[in-house]
Amino acid sequence: MLHLGWFLSFQVQSWNQMWSGEGGREWNKPQLYIDAARSLERAGFDYMMFEDGSFVPDSYGGNHDWWLKAARSVPKQDPLPLIPILGEHTKNIGFFATVTTSFHPPFMAARSAATIDHLTDGRFGLNLVTSHNHRTAQNFGHDALFDHDERYRMADEWIDLVRKLWDSWDADAVVLDEERGMFADGSKVHPVDFEGEFYRSRGPLNTTRPPQGRPALCQAGGSNAGRAFGAKNVDTIIAQVNGVEDMKAYRDEVSEHMIAAGRDPKECKVLFIVTPVLGETDAEAQDRAERGRLAMAGAVESNLASLSYATGEDFAKYDLDAPFPDIETNATQSSLALFKKLAAGKTLREFVTSDTRKSVDLVGTPDTVAGQMDEIMQEVGGDGFLISGSLHRRYVSEIADGLGAALRRRGLARDGYAGSTLRENLLEF
Amino acid sequence: MSADMFHLGWFGSFIPTTWTTGWDGTDAARWMDGKFYVDKVRTLERACFDFILFEDSSMVSDVYGGSSEATLKRGGWAPKGDPVALAPILARATERIGISVTMSTSFYPPWMLARSVATLDHMSRGRIGWNIVTSSEDLAAKNFGMDALPPHDERYARADEFVDLVTQLWDSWDADALVMDRERGVYVDHTKVRPIDFVGKYYKSRGPLNTLRPPQGRPVLTQAGGSPAGRQFASRYADMVMALPKGVPAMKEYRDDIRMRVAAEGRDPDRTKVMFVVSPILGETHQHALDRKAAKDEAVRQHPEGQLIGWSGSMEIDFSRFDLDKPLPDDVQTNGHQSTLANFRKWANGRTLREACVAYRTESMELIGTPDEVAAQMDEAMQEVGGDGFLIWNQPHNRRYIGEIADGLVPALQKRGLMRTGYGHEHFRDNLLEF
Ligand SMILES: Cc1cc2nc3c(=O)[nH]c(=O)nc-3n(C[C@H](O)[C@H](O)[C@H](O)COP(=O)(O)O)c2cc1C
Ligand SMILES: Cc1cc2nc3c(=O)[nH]c(=O)nc-3n(C[C@H](O)[C@H](O)[C@H](O)COP(=O)(O)O)c2cc1C
Repeated sequence: MLHLGWFLSFQVQSWNQMWSGEGGREWNKPQLYIDAARSLERAGFDYMMFEDGSFVPDSYGGNHDWWLKAARSVPKQDPLPLIPILGEHTKNIGFFATVTTSFHPPFMAARSAATIDHLTDGRFGLNLVTSHNHRTAQNFGHDALFDHDERYRMADEWIDLVRKLWDSWDADAVVLDEERGMFADGSKVHPVDFEGEFYRSRGPLNTTRPPQGRPALCQAGGSNAGRAFGAKNVDTIIAQVNGVEDMKAYRDEVSEHMIAAGRDPKECKVLFIVTPVLGETDAEAQDRAERGRLAMAGAVESNLASLSYATGEDFAKYDLDAPFPDIETNATQSSLALFKKLAAGKTLREFVTSDTRKSVDLVGTPDTVAGQMDEIMQEVGGDGFLISGSLHRRYVSEIADGLGAALRRRGLARDGYAGSTLRENLLEF
Repeated sequence: MSADMFHLGWFGSFIPTTWTTGWDGTDAARWMDGKFYVDKVRTLERACFDFILFEDSSMVSDVYGGSSEATLKRGGWAPKGDPVALAPILARATERIGISVTMSTSFYPPWMLARSVATLDHMSRGRIGWNIVTSSEDLAAKNFGMDALPPHDERYARADEFVDLVTQLWDSWDADALVMDRERGVYVDHTKVRPIDFVGKYYKSRGPLNTLRPPQGRPVLTQAGGSPAGRQFASRYADMVMALPKGVPAMKEYRDDIRMRVAAEGRDPDRTKVMFVVSPILGETHQHALDRKAAKDEAVRQHPEGQLIGWSGSMEIDFSRFDLDKPLPDDVQTNGHQSTLANFRKWANGRTLREACVAYRTESMELIGTPDEVAAQMDEAMQEVGGDGFLIWNQPHNRRYIGEIADGLVPALQKRGLMRTGYGHEHFRDNLLEF
C-alpha cells in the first residue's frame, strides 16, 4: 500500500486559469481547503502538508514586482490558524504546517503545536524548515540568515527542546480526581531546565501532553545536514527527486541514516512529489500533458523565477543562451545541486524550457497512473507520493475520485483508516 | 431615564471548565478539543455580545508553596491552551461576534505576530482582536530563554515600538493592492506594497508583510494595563481598554482618565471604549441570588487556596507563607503586576488573608439579583460612569453560567434597550464603535 499526501501552501492556488473558479478571492478563506481535505480524506490520504515562508520574494529581477503580479509565493498566509478548522471538518486525515526553527521561539511552537494536536485529536504535525532566504531573516530583525550548517545545528537543539517540552507532562498527569479535588498531579509535570548553545527554557509547558505525545514531524531538507536531521527526528520526509533510480537511492540513504541514528527505517515514510496528469483515455492524458509542457516551455519568466526562488540568485541577469551559471548558495544547496545536475550540457534557456520539476512522469487514465505508481514503488521500496498541483476543485476531484478510486481497486490505497492519529496512520503499513 | 446602549464582552481563558460543582457535564475532560468553546461562542453570538476575549499566559506557576502542585491540583491557571489556535475554529462557527486573543509583546517576534493576526483577520472576515500584554511573570520569561522580564516601564517602551512595527507591517500593503486583473495577468499591484525598513531601539524588520492587508486594516487592539505607563500606552493604540477599578466612582475616574489621555494623543475618545470586568450572580429571586453568593463565600472561606494560588501566580508572591488569619505583611514586593499589588493592598485595607479571599472579586462592582435587578444595576452604573460597557468574567466557568447570562441577563438588558439585538456591521471594530 502507498502513503499519500498533498503538498500546498496557504496562498493563491489558481486564479486566472480555466478551472480556477473563484480561486483569486477565496484562497485566503477556509472553504477551499475544507473541501479539499474532505475529498482527500475520502480517498484515504495520510495528510495535507502546508509549506510556508515569511518573506516577499524579490530575487528574480531584483524586486518583488513579478512575484506580486503573478501571485507567486505571495501573498501567503500563516498555515497554523487554518489547521484547527480543517480538523473540525474531518475525522482521519492529518495535517502538517511548516514552522521555521530559525525564527519560531521553541516554547511558542511547542505550545501551539500541542494545542492544535488537541484540537485535531492527534492529527497534527510540524514540518520543520530552517528557512532559506535572507529576506526572512531580515523580517525577523537579522541582517542575514545564519550559516547553512549552523541553521541545522540550531534546528537540532530546537527540536530537542520542543520534544522535552512536550514530554514535560506525563501521559497520566491529568487525573480529574473529584474526591481529592485533584485536576492534575503536580508530581507528573516537570520543568525541563534546558540550557543549550542557542536556546534556553525552563518549562514545563503550560498545557497538557499532546494526544500523540509528540505531534508528528516532517522534513524536506535534502543537504547532508538536512538528511541527517530528518533521519534522526521525523516521521515523514517529503522529497523532490528526479527519476526512479534517484528515488530509490534517496529512500535507501534515509534508511541508512536512520539505522545509524538507531531508528527502524520503517518509522519514517518518504513521500515523493508528483503531479499526475489524468485523462479519460491515455491518449487524452498525453495530449493534456503535452499542452502542459508547451505552456511550461513558454513560461520562461516563471521558470526563471522558480530558480531564483529556490536559490536566492537573480536569474534575470544571466544569458539565456549560455550554459547554466556556475554559482554557490547559502540557501537551498540540495536544490541547486539538482538543477546543476539536470542542466549539465544545456543552456539556461534549454534548461528552463524543459520540464524538470517532477520526480517521475505520471500520465494516463487513473488506472494507468495507478499502475505506474505501483511499479515505481516496487522499485523504490517505499513509501508513497505527495501530490502537488493546482488546488482547484476539479483537480482535487480527479485525484481523489479518479486516481484515488483506481488505487483503492488495486489495493494500493487504504479503504478507511485503521488508526486515529496522524502517526498511527503513517505507521499503519 | 436610562443609560445609553452599552457593550458586552466575555472575558475568559482557554482552560478546563469547572469540574467539581455538580454542573460540569463532561467538559473538563474534553475542553482541549475546543467543542465547549464552539458552543460557548455560538451562545454569546446569539446573545449579541460584541466579543469574546481570551486572556493568556505562558507558565505553570510554582510560586504558591514553592511548587506547581497546588496550581495543577486545582486546574484553572494551568493547563491553558493557546487561544491563537482556538480562534479560527470559533470564527468559523460564527458570523459577527469579535474574537480577541492575548499575545505578549515580550515573547512574540513582531513579524510572526503581525502575520498570524493578519491571517486570522482574513479567515474571520475582519473579526479579530489582539489583546496586547507585556506579560508580568518572570517564570514565563524563563520559558522563552530569558532570565527575567525587562523592568516594568521598559516593557511598555518595547511594547510601544512593537505595536508601531506591527502596524507598519499591516500598512505595508495598501487596501487596493489586490487588483486581480485577469487580462493583464496582474494579481497584486506591486507599487502598492512596500518594504518598511523598520529600525528601532529594540526591533528591526525589513518587510513588507507577505500577506494582504487585514480586512480591518488594523485588527482591534485591546489592552488592560492599569499603571500610568500602561494607561499611556493604551491611550495611543487601544480600541478598547479592559479595566478593573473597584467601585463606581473609581470606574468613572478610570474612564475619564483614559478619555483624557486619548484626547491628549490627538485621538477621538469615543473611539476607545473602556469596559469593566464583572461577574454577576443571578438568582430566581433576589433572596436566591443572595443565598448563592453566601454559599460561594462560605466555600472560599473553607478553601481559600484557589484564590491564593491565583494571587501567587499573578503577583509572584508565595501566599502560602502567610498566616491566613492575618493581613498581608507590609514588606512584600513584586516586579510583576505592580498596579495589581498596589490595588490589592489598598483594597484589602487590613482584611485578613482569609477574609480577603472571601471578599475578593475579579470585578469592578458587585452585581447580584434577578436578571432584571442586575440589568437595572448595570443601567445605573453606566449612567454614572458614562459608558462603555462590561466584560463578563466567567465565574463559574461552565455552560450553566453562560446560559444564565446569555438567556437570562441579556434579554433583560435588551428589554431595557441597553443592549443590541443584532449586529450592524461585519467587522469587529465597526460593531464596537457602532455606539
Ligand atoms: C518538497 C519540499 C518542500 C519544502 N517546503 C519548504 C517550506 O515550506 N518552507 C521552507 O522554508 N522551505 C521548504 N523547503 C526547503 C527545505 O526545507 C530545505 O531548505 C531545502 O530542501 C534545502 O535543503 P537543505 O536545507 O538541506 O539544504 C522544501 C523543500 C522541499 C523539497
Ligand atoms: C481584565 C484584565 C485582563 C488581563 N489579561 C491579561 C492577560 O491575558 N495576560 C497577561 O499577561 N496579563 C493580563 N493582564 C494584566 C495586564 O496586562 C497588566 O499587566 C496588569 O494589569 C498590570 O498593569 P500594568 O502592566 O500597567 O502595571 C490583565 C489585566 C486585567 C485587568
